Amino acid sequence: MSYCVNCGVELEASLRECPLCHTPVINPMEAGKDIPPSPYPTDKGQVEEVKRKDLGILLSVVLTATAVTSLLLNFLVFSHSFWSLQVIGICICLFVFTFPMVYYRKTPLSFSLLADGVAVAVYLYMIAYLTPSTAWFWQLGLPIVILVILNTEVFTFLARLVPFSLLSGALCLFIEIPLFCMALELMIRRMMLHPIRLTWSAVVLTVCVIIDVALVTILVKKRLRNEVRRRLHF
Amino acid sequence: MSKRRPEKQMHKPVGRNKKDVWYKLDLSATVYPTLQRRDFSSVYRLSVKLKESVDPALLQQALDLTLPRFPTYKVAIRKGLFWRYLEPNTRPGPFVQEDIKNPCMPMHFKSNNRYLIRVYYYDCRISLEAHHCLGDGTGGMCLLQTLTAVYLGLLGHEITPSGFVLKIDEEPDPGELEDAYMRYATAKVKPPRPAEKTYRIRGTKEPFYTLNIVDGIMSVSEVMKVAKQYGATITEYLNAVLLYALLQKQAGEFHLKYKPVRIAMPVNLRRFFPSKTLRNFITMVYPSIDPRLGEYRFEEIVTHVHNFMRYYINEKFLCGDITTNAATKHNFLIRVVPLFVKDLVVRTFYTKVQDKNSSAGLTNMGALKVPEDMKAYIDRFDIYMGQPFSSRTNCAIISFEDILTVNFASSIVESDVERHFFRKLVQDGVHVKIESNRSCQI
Repeated sequence: MSYCVNCGVELEASLRECPLCHTPVINPMEAGKDIPPSPYPTDKGQVEEVKRKDLGILLSVVLTATAVTSLLLNFLVFSHSFWSLQVIGICICLFVFTFPMVYYRKTPLSFSLLADGVAVAVYLYMIAYLTPSTAWFWQLGLPIVILVILNTEVFTFLARLVPFSLLSGALCLFIEIPLFCMALELMIRRMMLHPIRLTWSAVVLTVCVIIDVALVTILVKKRLRNEVRRRLHF
Repeated sequence: MSKRRPEKQMHKPVGRNKKDVWYKLDLSATVYPTLQRRDFSSVYRLSVKLKESVDPALLQQALDLTLPRFPTYKVAIRKGLFWRYLEPNTRPGPFVQEDIKNPCMPMHFKSNNRYLIRVYYYDCRISLEAHHCLGDGTGGMCLLQTLTAVYLGLLGHEITPSGFVLKIDEEPDPGELEDAYMRYATAKVKPPRPAEKTYRIRGTKEPFYTLNIVDGIMSVSEVMKVAKQYGATITEYLNAVLLYALLQKQAGEFHLKYKPVRIAMPVNLRRFFPSKTLRNFITMVYPSIDPRLGEYRFEEIVTHVHNFMRYYINEKFLCGDITTNAATKHNFLIRVVPLFVKDLVVRTFYTKVQDKNSSAGLTNMGALKVPEDMKAYIDRFDIYMGQPFSSRTNCAIISFEDILTVNFASSIVESDVERHFFRKLVQDGVHVKIESNRSCQI
């Protein structure tokens, strides 16, 4: 029977150090004696992995089959235009969107978002390729995709980097929304060859600035923050 | 006059034929599956240590005989459009398995043939792990004791069913399957939940698949004697010791400002609202100490906890608490929201508010009763609250005859809270024997 000299607790015979303070057990009375087995098992268990392989196979087969059959149909039957590109594009997008959920769950979020953006951009380009002019893609489609992905990446990055509350999340969102709207309006105006100035996005900007000021005040004033928390807790 | 709903109306299952039977999740159970992560499940463990080694073949036989008596434990969980539900599981299993070093490991809903319980054996110990969405500790204890009684029966010992031990050849009482919360959620007001940030234990996270256990074994009469000296019950005294340990831990760290120390303590509502349910029927109370008010002596902490328990743990306050919780399930707008939205909201609320609402968890199953003829074969019981949701420690207390066991479970390297806790008991003159899987001989 050994006791921890620091904690004063009796230690179970198999323990070689106190689990509370890590003081080694040195008991001259028990020197040379066999150490009894631990009352706890020594083998670690493993959680049985849930097999998503079947879903992955099914999804891959369905998407590939859809893409291939539409390609064949395009070449052999309805060959007036290269319309199957649109179907193939959707299949690629679906595959990329579902990849982190079905195939590899450890995919970093930032990479998944980037891949989603690239997939959408490729799909839009495929559509643009089928239309007489690709100007809308370069001047509007691609910049919008880049903007959305950039905003989402910044939002998720901040959510991971700083302690993120509902209020700080809302603040971040209401900063990003007007920036996005302003960029969108400027791009549309540039494409339509209108004078470069703000109209409707200025309204969004004003509303968001008011909300941002209110949110910053709530975040800075602890009493207000607690009041909001109390009233909005659900 | 309270408008309690008659018991008959409230009993589940839903469905006329046995084949069509399914069970709605009870009020508490709706939350637990939402918190499910790859590395976390709300799983608790109950163990019984017998006086002789366990025979796995007989234990499996006993489990196969026992489980049909507990229809809400022989189930799989499924997703509906608005809520999850339980449906009877006819797949083979669950199978008893040799115990592991890391109990309460995550329980994925689609693994283990979709069963939400695990039964382990190791030397003289039988352990039951159950997902909290099936039921609380009382329900689990009923299953464990009935399983143990059937196992002992197969060994040739005669056990008379009573108390937690149910007759396995009887049809389940509808009252055992009810969601008792809804029957007793009758208060006219919905008192607000406490929502203040409390002290959080800072610890180094252990790698996945590690659950550190420290068990303190002591004499019930010794602890009771010390508790009486402070004018408190055993629960109040041990609660005060845990608060004291947390205060000590906070004082030993660098903080720009201190935060209140609060314990989340489940209260068994069956003590106040008669119900036979084997599903969840608990609510949380939060005894706390705010060190910003000044330095508390231990005697003051005990007095504070004693008064808190007297004030809050009574039928009226608990009824108000149940009503607040039940309001979410009564609300039409909440009910019609799709499940994935509910999941998102509940998870966010739990992570941002509920989890930060307490510094540690403490549950006391109290003095366990077993049938007279079963006592001779049982050494002691253990209870583990399971893996904590965040980096903290959970404490569970159970007593049988004169043995009181305090079981700490945590997923962090540091054992400061456990050390302060047991040192205080030793200082008060309680003899404590420690068992742990932290540094066991391999």
